[in-house]
Amino acid sequence: MAAASTSSFIPLKPRPTPRGLSTIAVLKLGAPLSFSFRRPVLAPARLRISCVAKPETVEKVAKVVKKQLALPAETLVTGDSKFAALGADSLDTVEIVMGLEEEFDISVEEDSAQSIATVQDAADLIEELVRKKCA
Amino acid sequence: MGERAAAASLKFVTVQANSASLAEARARVFEFFKTTCRSIPTVMEIYNLQDVVNESQLRSAVSSEIRRHAHITNPKVIDMLLQKGTEELHNIVQHSKQRHHIIGQYVVGQRGLVHDLGTKDEGTSDFLKNFYKSNYF
Repeated sequence: MAAASTSSFIPLKPRPTPRGLSTIAVLKLGAPLSFSFRRPVLAPARLRISCVAKPETVEKVAKVVKKQLALPAETLVTGDSKFAALGADSLDTVEIVMGLEEEFDISVEEDSAQSIATVQDAADLIEELVRKKCA
Repeated sequence: MGERAAAASLKFVTVQANSASLAEARARVFEFFKTTCRSIPTVMEIYNLQDVVNESQLRSAVSSEIRRHAHITNPKVIDMLLQKGTEELHNIVQHSKQRHHIIGQYVVGQRGLVHDLGTKDEGTSDFLKNFYKSNYF
């Protein structure tokens, strides 16, 4: 199982029907189907690339974090600062991820969002998503 | 932007089964919060809120609403609150509400009614302000 997972391997849980199938089903049956939208599944297992993010990205992330947590401007937010150490609870962390989604116009998957603990993690993830989007 | 809005579309809202544990309820709260945040651009466009507020202010309004109930530990109560929140979000996104509802409830929010923020009383002294509010200060 995932007990002996290495540091860079995050197995995704299997998700039910992708979005296209659900909308077709709604049109066919006519009666309201109760489902909530599930985002389409990416590749089954994603290897997380731990490359260094650009310093501008880290700067932008730090700015969003500082604004969200209402920290004074002199607080040093580096790549290694953990969100919990800066005084963010779990809801703050989710809100920061949402702020980053808005700022960079990306969409972060749930499993990736769970693994974000430091500013550097967030910047790396953002770089990867931006690169994938433009590719 | 398109994929974010598509990701948050709520077609039909039904009651889900009770969450088995506090951890599952907690996960559902975060899911709800994310869905709400991803619907915020749609809401701003529907109700023309671009000049009134920006997205991060709406986000913090939503998170403060969630934080008001952060002390609750009973999963059933959390489920009930989530159901109410989902219903509210559904009403807003389906344009069942109107602009003044959104502005009054989430933009101005708990800070005070709109007429209290007018410029009429801004120059008056604190004594007068307290006097208008109550007899004892």
